[in-house]
Amino acid sequence: MKQIKKAQEEMVGFALIIIVVAVILLIFVGFSLKTPKKEAVESFEVESFIQSSLQYTTDCRDTLRVFSVQKLISSCRNNEICLDGRNTCEVLNSTLKGIVKESWKISNNSAVKGYEFKIISDEKEMLKFEEGNITSNSKGSVQYFPNAEIFFKAYY
Amino acid sequence: MIQKKAQLKIQQMAFMLIAVTLFFVLVGMFVLTIYVSGLKNSAASLDEKNALLLVTKLANSPEFSCGEAFGNVRTNCIDADKVMMLKEKISQYKRFWDIENVEIRTIYPKSENKECTLENYPNCNILKIREGNITTEYSNFVSLCRKKVFNGEVENKCELAKLMISYNSRK
Repeated sequence: MKQIKKAQEEMVGFALIIIVVAVILLIFVGFSLKTPKKEAVESFEVESFIQSSLQYTTDCRDTLRVFSVQKLISSCRNNEICLDGRNTCEVLNSTLKGIVKESWKISNNSAVKGYEFKIISDEKEMLKFEEGNITSNSKGSVQYFPNAEIFFKAYY
Repeated sequence: MIQKKAQLKIQQMAFMLIAVTLFFVLVGMFVLTIYVSGLKNSAASLDEKNALLLVTKLANSPEFSCGEAFGNVRTNCIDADKVMMLKEKISQYKRFWDIENVEIRTIYPKSENKECTLENYPNCNILKIREGNITTEYSNFVSLCRKKVFNGEVENKCELAKLMISYNSRK
């Protein structure tokens, strides 16, 4: 009877050791699974994309010069029109849609599954468009300008 | 009889110690595997980041960058006219950059793929500066600018392009 009790005690001791180690292991795995999320925050590629897109020369001009996307954003804010009569906001919308569509091609075979583009001016949404699926893995960037913020996020 | 019981107890203890040690060794190996795979991932990610930084560094180097030719100093802006001239003198830049191949491809506006030569420039969209074996290719977005004549006046024309490089990455 005494021997059986002793054996039981030892078994309980062994089980306790296993439980303690399992809990430590679970905590470790939990921590290691949490870390990869920081990748979504930093992206040189998206940052370069926004900077380069802003320098793009559009086909809208006034009497003096041809507008870049950056200039078109401020012209759109002031409801200006191009020399050929088109609305600057319409030109901005179509140009940016074209740029994003050609730069971040969405397909089943490509890594990019979707994107989201947004321009906020004076705390109002000036322009917004999105395409494809929104997934949990993303790369994004924000560019700040006087009176305007440009957001772009690509989903993988 | 008591001696035999003590021996049995020692044996039991030894087996228990071996079992616990084995268990900890297995757990340690598991943890080490996770740690090593994490290291490999971070090495690959660092390699990619370095390549992207190299592309940005190249785009902003004096041989490629717009400088003040298109107004203010811009980042990620490449002077296409300058690059066309660089293409002609590329033999003088052997081993200047630690890269095998450099290519600039216009993305927007979209056009038919045509490699740039002095004869067809600027009616082309692929600027191959140096040709070599492609091992690992990295790219980043740039603004490709040039001067253009419109109604007798010179103005700036910037397009969206991708600067692509291929270089020998760490094995």
